Amino acid sequence: MLKDITLGQFFPGTSPIHRLDPRVKLLLALIFIVVLFVINNLVAYIIMGVLLAVVVKISQIPLGLVLKGLKPIFVVVIITAILNIFYNTTGEVLWEWGFLRVTTNGIMLGIFMAIRIVYLIIGVAIILTYTTSPILLTDAVENVFSPFKRFGFPAHEIAMMMTIAIRFIPTLVEETEKIINAQKARGADFETGSILKRAKALVPILVPLFVSAFKRADELAIAMECRCYQGGENRTRMRVLQTSRIDYVAIVITVLVCAALVSMNFMEFGWRA
Amino acid sequence: MKPFISFENLSFKYSEEEPRWVLENINLTIDDGSFVAVLGHNGSGKSTLAKHLNAILLPTEGKVYVDGIDTCDEEKLFDLRQRVGMVFQNPDNQIVATVVEEDVAFAPENLGVPPAEIRERVDWALEAVSMTEYREAASYHLSGGQKQRIAIAGVLAMKPKCIVLDEPTAMLDPQGRKEVMKTIRELNKNEGITIVMITHYMNEAIMADRVVVMDEGHVILDGDPYEVFSHVDELKSVGLDVPQPTELMYLLKGAGVDIEKTVLTDEECAEVLYNLLEGQR
Ligand SMILES: Nc1ncnc2c1ncn2[C@@H]1O[C@H](COP(=O)(O)OP(=O)(O)OP(=O)(O)O)[C@@H](O)[C@H]1O
Ligand SMILES: [Mg+2]
Repeated sequence: MLKDITLGQFFPGTSPIHRLDPRVKLLLALIFIVVLFVINNLVAYIIMGVLLAVVVKISQIPLGLVLKGLKPIFVVVIITAILNIFYNTTGEVLWEWGFLRVTTNGIMLGIFMAIRIVYLIIGVAIILTYTTSPILLTDAVENVFSPFKRFGFPAHEIAMMMTIAIRFIPTLVEETEKIINAQKARGADFETGSILKRAKALVPILVPLFVSAFKRADELAIAMECRCYQGGENRTRMRVLQTSRIDYVAIVITVLVCAALVSMNFMEFGWRA
Repeated sequence: MKPFISFENLSFKYSEEEPRWVLENINLTIDDGSFVAVLGHNGSGKSTLAKHLNAILLPTEGKVYVDGIDTCDEEKLFDLRQRVGMVFQNPDNQIVATVVEEDVAFAPENLGVPPAEIRERVDWALEAVSMTEYREAASYHLSGGQKQRIAIAGVLAMKPKCIVLDEPTAMLDPQGRKEVMKTIRELNKNEGITIVMITHYMNEAIMADRVVVMDEGHVILDGDPYEVFSHVDELKSVGLDVPQPTELMYLLKGAGVDIEKTVLTDEECAEVLYNLLEGQR
C-alpha cells in the first residue's frame, strides 16, 4: 500500500523538459493551474489533455509511472465528481429523487472537476516533480521568493525544509512498513474492528515512528552542523540557475496555447458548464 | 613538530550536576597523517571524545587543539569544522539531499565555494570513494555500504585534513563493511588524511597504525596494535575482545606453549603455528 507513493519522486533524464530552468517550470506550472480552472469548455479540456500527453511523451516519463501516480487519487476524483454533480442544480433536469437532483450542468461540472484534478496531478505532481531534481525545485522556490527575504520571509529555511522532507519521505515510508510488519508479526490487527479499534491499533505504529523521527532529526542536525551548515547567508550553489533559449521557447508556447484555450471560453461551440 | 591534534588535560561532563566525569583528564596527541582506532565498551566516552574534535562539544576543563586551532575559538569554528570531517553510524541520518552529487555538494555550498570549484570537489570526492557512477542516483536506492561512502564523500568535499568516524560500519553488512574500510584505508594512504575511527570490530582496529583504548572516560592503553593487543588480560577486564588469532595464541600460551610474538592476522597466526609444528618434528 505504501509502496504506491511515487508522488514527489524524481526520475533523472535528459529530455528538454528535464533541461528547463526550474524557475521557469514553476512559473509555467502556475500559469497551467490558473488556466486549468478558468477553462470551461470541454473541447478546450480535450485539447489540453492531448497537449499534456505530448509533454509526458517528450519528458520520457514511462506511461506506467503516470498511471501509478494517478492511482492513489482515484477515489478522490470520483468523490469530487459526484459531489459536484449534485452541487450544481441548474439546467435541464435529468433525474430527481427527494432533494437530490441531477442536471446537465451538474454532470458537466462533475466531469470538469474530475478532469481538473487528474490534469493537476499529471501536470504538477507528475511532470514537474518527476523531471526536476528536488534540489533544483527547492532552489527555484528559494530563488523565486528571495526578494521577500527583506520583509523577513524565510525563503532559504522553507527551501531547506522541503529538501529534507523530500529526502526523508522514502526513508520514513520504509520504516513505517517495517514497524507495521513487526507489529503484525506480534499479532496486531489493523484491518478489522470498529474505527475506534483500528485507530487504537495505529498507536503502536505511530509512537515508534515518531521516536525514531526525532532521533533522526537530532542526528541529522549534528551531521549538518559538522558539514558547516550556517543557514542561507553566503551560501553558494553547485548548479547556478540559468535561463536559456529552450526556456523562452517553452514560455512562448505555453502562453500562446493557454491564451487560445482561454479564448475558447468566449466561443460559441463545445460543451460548457 | 607540533602534533596535528592534541588533548590537554581534557575533562568533560554533559551537565554541571553530574557527579562523575564522562571524560577525565585526557592527554593525547595524534600526528598528521596517522590512522588511529579508538576502542572501548559501551558508554566509555568514545563518541564524547570524538565530538570534541570539531567543537560539537567543548571541554568542561582543559583544551583541545586541532591543527593549531583552539576548539573553543568561535571565530575559527568553521575553519575547524572544515578541517575535521565527521562521519556517524547511520548513513541515512547524515545524507541531506536526495540525489547523490547534490548531497556531496552540501558542505562546499555551505562554505561558499564558487560553483565551478564545487563541481570539481564533488567529482573528486565521488571518485575517491569509488561512487562516480552513482552521481545522479537517489540515495534511497543504494546499499548501506554505498550510502556510508556517500556520507564520507560528503565530508571529503570540504577537503578536510582529518576524518573522524564514529562506528561507521556498525549498521552495515559484511560486504558494506569491507567497502567502507577499504575506502578509509585508501584515503589515509593515498590522500594522507588523518583518520580517527571508533569501532567495535577488532579486525578493523588492527588495520590502524595506532590503537587507543578507553574505559570509564580514561585512556587506558595506547600504542601500535601489536603492543595494545599484547595486553589481553587488561582488555578482557574492561569488557573488550581481542582479534581471534590473538585470542588463540593467548590460550595456547596459557596452556604452556612457548610463544613470544603477539599476532593479529590469520596469516601471522598460521605462520607461528607452522613454525611451532615444524619445531616439534
Ligand atoms: N547527550 C548526553 N547527555 C548526557 N549524557 C550523555 C549524553 N551522551 C552520552 N552521555 C553519557 O556519557 C557517557 C559516554 O557516552 P558516549 O556516547 O561517549 O559513549 P561511547 O563510548 O560512544 O559508547 P557507545 O559504544 O555506546 O557508542 C555515557 O555514560 C552516556 O550515558
Ligand atoms: Mg558512541
